[in-house]
Amino acid sequence: MSGRYHRPHGWAWFLERPGYIRFMVRELTSFFVAGYLIVLLVTLGRLGGGEAAFAEWLNALSGPGWMLAHVVALIAAVWHSITWFGAVPQAMPMYLGEKKLPAPLAAVVMGYGPWLTVTAVIVWWVLR
Amino acid sequence: MSTELTMTLEVFRYHPETDSEPRFQAYEVPYDEDWVVLDALNWIKDHVDGSLTHRWSCRMGVCGSCGMMVNGDPKLTCAVFLKDYYPRPIKVEPLVNFPVERDLVVSLDGFMDKLEAVKPYIIRGDVNDTSGGEYLQSPAELAQYKQYSMCINCMLCYAACPVAGHEDEFLGPAALALGHRYNKDSRDQGQAERLDVMLVGEAIWGCTFVGECTVVCPKHVDPAGAIQQAKAVGAQEFFKRFVAPKGAGV
Repeated sequence: MSGRYHRPHGWAWFLERPGYIRFMVRELTSFFVAGYLIVLLVTLGRLGGGEAAFAEWLNALSGPGWMLAHVVALIAAVWHSITWFGAVPQAMPMYLGEKKLPAPLAAVVMGYGPWLTVTAVIVWWVLR
Repeated sequence: MSTELTMTLEVFRYHPETDSEPRFQAYEVPYDEDWVVLDALNWIKDHVDGSLTHRWSCRMGVCGSCGMMVNGDPKLTCAVFLKDYYPRPIKVEPLVNFPVERDLVVSLDGFMDKLEAVKPYIIRGDVNDTSGGEYLQSPAELAQYKQYSMCINCMLCYAACPVAGHEDEFLGPAALALGHRYNKDSRDQGQAERLDVMLVGEAIWGCTFVGECTVVCPKHVDPAGAIQQAKAVGAQEFFKRFVAPKGAGV
């Protein structure tokens, strides 16, 4: 026998390290975000279909299944956002002279701050 | 009767002359709370089995030679203590995602090719012109790349990266971080040459930002961050090509 040994890669590689599992959870949350966007697009379509069609759609959405789906989608979207805001300081480090802004502060400046600002503007616009 | 404490090391063995598959061999080693895993491996080689093969050199986390899998985690064996595992056994394997040459030694060929590809050195057009004196650099300019210059090429990041294990075209965390390190160096003029290599196919785009390379890095280099920044530069350069005059360069 001679030669190098190549270790096989298993299909369940994503279970080998806790960090891989966290990565997969982060990626899979995007499906829930995409699913919610489809629901939103359908909602807009029903809105264009007239008052009766929209009311019927809203009535359907008020069922327990849809309510549960929305809660799950909300949790997934929040988790997706938190993980990506946590990654922002790595992808876009901010420097003040030769000092790098601490990661939590950078996440607030470039992630949570703009997010809350935009959310506040939307809430104001809807409720005004 | 001796009262010396011992613990068990289960060591990956593979000799290409005789083995078609690797095997694990258990060794009882003296337990000393000051010992690191590398001390135990050296004790085995010196006192029990001289055929055990492993790399090491500086013994102080600088040379990057002694990277191995310790209970499934990529570690510098000179920096991980027996006392952190005692009395449980420790399983020592060669770094994953690399072909195994012999026992705990992996082949560096693929890594060296990738490292060479990103041209990890300062590139200047005026290399022979010394009339201007030194290339001056401010502390703020140094801060832009200093973290990424701490890489010791230990390859732990490749062992932690699932993409490096599945995609040959991917240049991998250390090579990309070092490419980015020189791109961020204010004295360097070689970014265009490096991006020609880094932006091809899966070379950099294979990275899905799992982030474990940064978690395992013993020198806090943050290769994952460097790669995302390099991707952003690459995306900017892609769009610049539509607005910059042809031949203007990157």
